[in-house]
Parts: sequence; structure tokens; C-alpha cells
Amino acid sequence: MSPMIDWMRGLWIRLRYYLFRARYDREMEEEMRFHLDLRAADNRQNGMSDVDARDAAARRFGNRTSLEEHRRAAVGFPTLDTLGQDLRYVVRAIRHAPGFSAMVVLTLGLGIGANAAMFGIVDRLLLRGPAHVVDPDRVVRVYVTQQDGDLGESTGSVVGFVTYSHLRDNAKDFEDLAVYARTEATVGRGADAHRIMLGRVSWNFFPMLGVRPALGRFFGADEDHLPQGENVIVLDEGYWKRAFAGDRGVLGRAMTVGGVTYTIVGIAPQGFTGVELERRDAWVPISLTYWGPGANWATGWDINWLQIVGRLKPGVSLEDVGSRATIAHRRAFDGPANHTMRTATLSAAPLRFNARAKEKTETRLSRWLVAVAAIMLLIACANVANLFLARATTRRREVAVRLALGIGRGRLIRLLVAESAVLGLIGGAAGLAVAYAGGRFVRAVLLPNVAWIDATVDLRVLGVTAVSAVVTGILVGLAPALQATRLELTSSLKSGIREGGAQRSRLRTALTITQAALSVVLLVGAGLFVRSLWNVYSLRLGLEPDRVMTVAFDWPTIVDRSDDARQRERFRQADFYVAALARVRAMPGVERAAVVVGTPFQSSNSTALRVPGRDSIPTLPGGDPLIRAVSDDYFATAGTRVLRGRAFTAADVSTSARVAVVNETMARTLWPNRDPVDECLLIDTMPCAQVVGVVEDARRFSLREEAAMQYYIPLGQERALGFGGRKLFVRPSGNGEGFPDRLRAELLRLDPGIGYVTVQSLQESLDPQIRPWRLGATMFGLFGVLALIVAAIGLYSVISYLVTQRAHELGVRIALGAQVGDIVGLVVRYGVGLAVAGVAIGTVIALNTARWIEPLLFETSPRNPWVFAGVMVVLLVVAVLASVIPAWRASRTDPIEALRAE
Amino acid sequence: MPAVPSRAELLPGTLAMLVLKTLTVDTMHGYAIAQHIERLSNDVLRVQEGTLYPALQMMEVKGWVKSEWKLTPTKRRARYYAITAAGRKQLAQEAREFDRVVEAVGRVMQPA
Repeated sequence: MSPMIDWMRGLWIRLRYYLFRARYDREMEEEMRFHLDLRAADNRQNGMSDVDARDAAARRFGNRTSLEEHRRAAVGFPTLDTLGQDLRYVVRAIRHAPGFSAMVVLTLGLGIGANAAMFGIVDRLLLRGPAHVVDPDRVVRVYVTQQDGDLGESTGSVVGFVTYSHLRDNAKDFEDLAVYARTEATVGRGADAHRIMLGRVSWNFFPMLGVRPALGRFFGADEDHLPQGENVIVLDEGYWKRAFAGDRGVLGRAMTVGGVTYTIVGIAPQGFTGVELERRDAWVPISLTYWGPGANWATGWDINWLQIVGRLKPGVSLEDVGSRATIAHRRAFDGPANHTMRTATLSAAPLRFNARAKEKTETRLSRWLVAVAAIMLLIACANVANLFLARATTRRREVAVRLALGIGRGRLIRLLVAESAVLGLIGGAAGLAVAYAGGRFVRAVLLPNVAWIDATVDLRVLGVTAVSAVVTGILVGLAPALQATRLELTSSLKSGIREGGAQRSRLRTALTITQAALSVVLLVGAGLFVRSLWNVYSLRLGLEPDRVMTVAFDWPTIVDRSDDARQRERFRQADFYVAALARVRAMPGVERAAVVVGTPFQSSNSTALRVPGRDSIPTLPGGDPLIRAVSDDYFATAGTRVLRGRAFTAADVSTSARVAVVNETMARTLWPNRDPVDECLLIDTMPCAQVVGVVEDARRFSLREEAAMQYYIPLGQERALGFGGRKLFVRPSGNGEGFPDRLRAELLRLDPGIGYVTVQSLQESLDPQIRPWRLGATMFGLFGVLALIVAAIGLYSVISYLVTQRAHELGVRIALGAQVGDIVGLVVRYGVGLAVAGVAIGTVIALNTARWIEPLLFETSPRNPWVFAGVMVVLLVVAVLASVIPAWRASRTDPIEALRAE
Repeated sequence: MPAVPSRAELLPGTLAMLVLKTLTVDTMHGYAIAQHIERLSNDVLRVQEGTLYPALQMMEVKGWVKSEWKLTPTKRRARYYAITAAGRKQLAQEAREFDRVVEAVGRVMQPA
């Protein structure tokens, strides 16, 4: 018989035994009775009386009850047999030590919950990708890298339609290629108006991603065509439920968006956001051009407004795709010979990368936070293991008694591990609450733009939590259990808890130091991010975005596309802004207001510029000179300081003398060592604009950018340049509570026909840039503080235990005349010693690992000495606090008590 | 009181070997196995009878023996055990091991 079959047969017999135990018991009973009968009969034959014969037989047979145990052990499933018993023991043990159990559950709950929460976030950001996309790993975004003269290389994914159409026809590595863009649009008029986020996509976007409509259909090739597609719209299921109460009759009905009437043809499934994670309320064909980008949008090489995504054929690598797409693109290029797109290099990257082909900061940070959560769990585990070790020591007698009474060591370990596993599970349940609260917090506060469709705690999070709870529970209990059961029986019974702890306390010391070290690492991370955030906030932007409200009007779409009609509309709008400005300035609660063409952080314009006496304008790394047209009082409203000369006044209008204000960089670059006031700027084909003032540099787009030239002309004087996109800047007095609503109402009174009025803080345009640092500072800070608390608890428990263990010795010292200060000093020195060791190790680790997060920091060295010093001080202070309480208790030890005990 | 011949407790682990050896003679029920061992060892080896049955069950689980309920010549139901191929292999191995131990002990105990 082969061993395998042997084993299987054995298993079968065991299983049969377990299932039909009653029958087996009966059978063995019968066998034994038969045996005893035969023996008794033999005895009788040897001349014994009937009673004697039976007694002798029974004596010879042996003790039946202990045999019972033997037999079970030989055949049964001991685990199953004793499971109920174990559980009863565990419940008793947990109820017996409520404080200890609560501490374990709390610590594990925090550790497991933090991990579950982070998993819930990362699951969507990194692992699963956008919802409803089939096989998202094979969907890529196409990027274009252009060589732009002195400015060097720039990579981006926003391209023109012509790049797409050429690539679609020539690239063979894609199963399909589609394009998308997005636009905010207004539904309704006046007070009822609301903004929706429109996804503008080519018809094949949906089949390429593999998404199916929840109702109706998506639009087809016959509705998305050049030069202008059909007015059809697909609603997002969420929006459909909100705006139409989920009425199935909306299909085929008309809907007005931005003044244009569409036919609703279908409903996209809930949470479908295309290839990005931000909310979309509706989808329209990309070939609808009400929002620009101009007449030759399908063929022009200078009109960049959409992004290309494609599904790779199986088995092609990203490198191959890039090189072959580059060849296809260059061969098909039909633009001007000096165009940078002629020599552009194409590449492809996964969807989680941002518009500049870099992994999004949020994504990278999330990955870090997962690591941080894992460290947090490690600290929690170390702490709980420590608590178990401490308790194992006080339970030495119980364990020794159990061993002496004949419990198997394996069984005992199982009991102890079962206890920690049960506590782990309860901790996991607590962790779910933490995951729910934490997940909601991170989603709402730190990643608000992502359209989260999954429940905060979904099945996957639940699974991860359950697994980590069980594994943690078992691991945490195993080591202490192994230690606890490795006892010399007699000495333990005799000595109780006093002796034999040296080895265990070494392990506990190591665990405590580990906790302190890991806390240092997390706190250093937190410190670096807080420092970054502080640097961000204390940055001089040349603007005060948090003090400025921007007001934008959504004008009805100009359906009549003739130049004449457009011109009329533009003048009408310009007049409206003048009237609106006057009205707003008269409103109570308004400190200042201005009108601007070209909002910082949102839009910009540039045009041809010359300066008399110079052949050309130097090119700065920050880019071409930007021009903004602003009304009077703009600089004071925006918070940009005037350094020389004057700002614009109410007298600077479209018809007055041509003047300009330049920024510091421009003044320094064009007229070094000279006063720029009264110099002349030749803007486009306009006559000389006289420089009247110099203002400080103001940020154009981002927190981190190279200095660039920027100049301002009076509002109205830009009309010849054809710039659009005006906004009202309002500086409210006070904190602006309820201000947006009042402002909106006031403007609607002025002209009920205007579309949606968007009022938002300029800061909101900047927030997405600050968010990564805020996310980092908040999360690292949160985890760091949690880690510190857990480490403090750990240290406290170690010191308390130490004090109990050394009560005898301390009693002797007190009896010999040691003062309170001596005892406290002794204990605190020990605690601080542990902390110092932890700080030293943690600092070394942090010094070596912090550089990995350097790219995520803002103008902060990963070895910032203040951060490191601060963390050290905090940790040492906490160590002193955690040691002082048990130390003080120790100093009050009654020497007689201590010496008499045991 | 008549002098009772001293009886050796079975060496731990030898019970299985003795049972297997016994079963090479014939299939038997538990009582017969116990008697057989005692008789052949001139009553020196006495099986603690109660432990015999758990041992038999353990050996069955391991596949060394198999059992069957049959009627005895006196028409009583009894469980008869038979050795299996795996049991013979196990017996051979244990016997070798036992010989080595006995030989070793013997060498130690021989007068120098």
C-alpha cells in the first residue's frame, strides 16, 4: 500500500470515527464487554466465585476513564473535541481581565482599522482603477513629448484632434483608440440653474472601455461625426436619479444644457467616470463644439484640448507601443515644418498617471500611507505582544498548575493563542469602525474630487480586515504563548512571579524599543509633511487666494456662430461686467472688487510683444510673458503689492491712453538697472503702451514654478486682442460667511437672464495643488500621534511591570534609606534609557528612509534638523511622562509589605 | 500466599510489535491476542488489557491491521483483527529496531 493511500485511508477512518462516534463507542464497548466476559469465564474455570471472577477481570482490565482519554487521543479529532472547551476558557479569560482585553482590542482596532481604511482608498486608486472599465490594465493614455527650443522637453497628454485621428488610422498596437475631454456646463436658467460635469468623448470611448449602458444606449458613430455631431446626451445614473428621480421615461426626451437642446439617449451605469476618477454627470459626443475650440478643431495642430486613451492589443509592451506610435505620428504629420509636433515623441502610460506622465502625487502618497499604516499595525502588534508577555508573567502560576495537572503543552499554547485570536477578531470588528470613520474622513476631506462609488467598508475591505485580524491575533499570541509554556514546573510553582523573568523582560525591552523607533520614523514623516505644508502656506504668492472670491458667469451658448453675432454678444457681456462691478462694490460686506481677464491658477493669455531698443524678448525658463487685463483696484483686491509707480485707476479705460503695469521679473529682465516706469511696450500691433508701475511677481499656475514675465493692461484695452474669460474678483470684508449666496442673489437681480453664477474662493483653484501636502501632513500626523500613544502605553506597561517585578528589590532599597527621588530617578532613568535607544534606532532609520519621500515634500530637506530634534524631544518627554507614574508608585512601596510578600 | 512470578510491564512501544507478531499467526479477537502474548511469554509479559483496544484502534487508523465482526465458535459476536501488508512492513522494521536495542543492552550487561 502506498503511503498516500495509507494516509487517505487513515483520514477516512478518522473521519468515519468522528461522524459515527456513537457507533464506534458502542462497538468498542461491546468488544471490551466480550473481553471481560471471556476473562471472567476463564477465572471461574480456575475456581473463582462468580463475583470474584468479575472483579478480577475488571481489575486486570484497568481504569476505564483514563482509557477513554487515551482512545480519543488515538483516534478522534482533538481540536474539534476540545474546541468548545477552549472557547469557554477564552471567554472566561477575557471577562476576567476587562482592562487588559480592552487595551488589546483598542490597540489592535486602531492598527487593523488604519490598514483597512488605507486599503479601501488604495484599492480604487491603485488596484482596481476606474469603475466599469473592463481589464483596465490594458487601457493606457497617450503622451506627447515635445522639444521646445531653449525651454527643453515637455511632456503632456493634452493634444489636438488631428494627432488622434492620425494615430487612430496608423497605430497598429491598439485594439481601439478614443478621445475624451471634459467641460463644466449649466443646466437651467437663473436661480434654478446648476452646474454639471460633462464628459465629452468619441463614440467608441464606451465600447473601447467595455462599459454597458444601464438603460437605453450610448451614442454611435453616426452621431459623432465631423464637422459637428448630433445633439445627443447620455446621463450618468447618479445624476439621472438626482435630477430626474430615476424616471425611465426620460429616454428620447429633450434636455437643455448651456442653451442647447439635446436628446437623452441612454443612462451610463452608476459611478462610471470614464478613465478618470472624478465625477461625470453626463456624456456628449466630442464632435459637439459649443465650448470651442474653434472652427478648424479637427485639423489644427495648435489646438490642444483632449486626451487620447487606447486599449492595447494583448502582449504588446509599453516601450514598443511608444516607439511605433512615434513613427506612425511622424510619418502622418502634415502641419507646418517648424512645428514642435513634427519631431514629437509619443509614449503610453497607465491610467493612474497624471497629465504629465508622472504618477499622481495622491497615488504615490497613498502608497506611502499604506506603508505607514503597516508600520502602525506593527507597532500595535508589538504593543499587544508586550501586554501578553506581561500578563503571561503574572499568569505563570496558573500556567504551571495547568501543566502540572497534565494539560498538554500544545493544548496550552492553543488556549493562549485562541485567546489572542479571539481578541484579534474583536479588535478587527473595532477596526471596521475605525476603517469606516477613517475612510470617510480621507475621502471627504483629502480626496474630495474622486467619485467614490464603493461603500467605505465594502466586501474587499471586510475580507482584508478579517484576514489581518486573524493573522495578527495568532501572531501576537504565539510568541508569548511559546514563552509562557516553556517553564520549569517546580520552580514556577514555588516562586510565583518574582523570579525567572529576565529572559522575558529582554524580549519585552526589545519590543518597547522597536515601538519607540517606529514611532520616531512616523513622527519624522509627519514632521516633514507639516513642515512642507507650513512652507506652502507661508509662501509669498504675490496674491492672497484665501481672501479673494472669484465670480464667473455661464453665458448662454452662442448658437448663431457668425462673427457678427459673436461680436455683439461679447460687447453685451463686457457691459454687463461693468454694471456688475459697480453693483458689487456698493454691496455691504464688500471691501473691494475688480474685473480680470485671465484668472491666476486657471487661465492665461499671451501675445506678441516687443520692446523698443531690443531685438527680441529673452526667453525665461518660466515661459513666455503672460498678459492680463484688469480693472482698477485689481492689485489691492487680489493682494498683489505695487512696488513702484502706480496701479490702474478708474480713468484707465478702453479709450484712454495705453498704459501697462509689469511685474518685478519683467522689469529686471527688460530694463536691468533702470527704472521701467515710462518705458514702452509694443503689444501685438497696438501702439506703444507706457509702463506706469511695477508690481511684485504673482503666481501664475502653481506653487512651484520658475519666475516669468507678466504684465497687465487696463480692462477694455485687450478688446483688440480678442481675449475672453472675464471674472469678477471680490474681496469680502470679514470671513465671508454666507457671502457667496448673497452675491449670487444680487447678481441675478441685476440680470435674471444670466446663466449659473459660480462663486468660489480663489483658494479652491489652488487647493488641489496643496492637497498632497495636506494629505501627507494629516495622515502622517494622525498615524504618528497614534503610534506615539501606543508606544507610550507600551512603555508605561513595561515600566509598571518592571516595578512590580522589582518590588522586592525596591523595598530593600527603601528599607536601606533610599529617598523618593532616588527610586523615581532609578525607574525613570530606565524608561528614558529605553526611549533613548528607540530614538537612536528610529533616527537612523528615518535618516536613511526619509529621502524616499523627498519628492513628495515642499522645499523641505528630508533631514531637516528641526523636525528630527522636535521628534526626539517629544518622544523623550513622553517617555518621562510614561515612566513617572509607575516610578512614583514604586517610591511609595511599603518596604515591609514588599519584603514579606512571597 | 503462593509465590507470584514477577511480571514485567511491557516496554513502551512494544505492544504494537507484539500484537502484529501475534496476528501473523492468524486473525484473532482482542482477548485471544492478549492471551496469546501472555502464553507465549510464559506469563512474563502481561498486557494491560484495557490499553489493548485503543492500541488496536490506533493500529487500524494507521493501516497496520484491519478488523471484521464475526461470530465466534460459541456464537458470540467478536471483532477479529488481521494484519495488513503495511502492518507486516511495520513489524519487520520494529523487530529490527528491537533486535538492535536488545543486542546493545545485552552487550552492556555482559560481565566485562
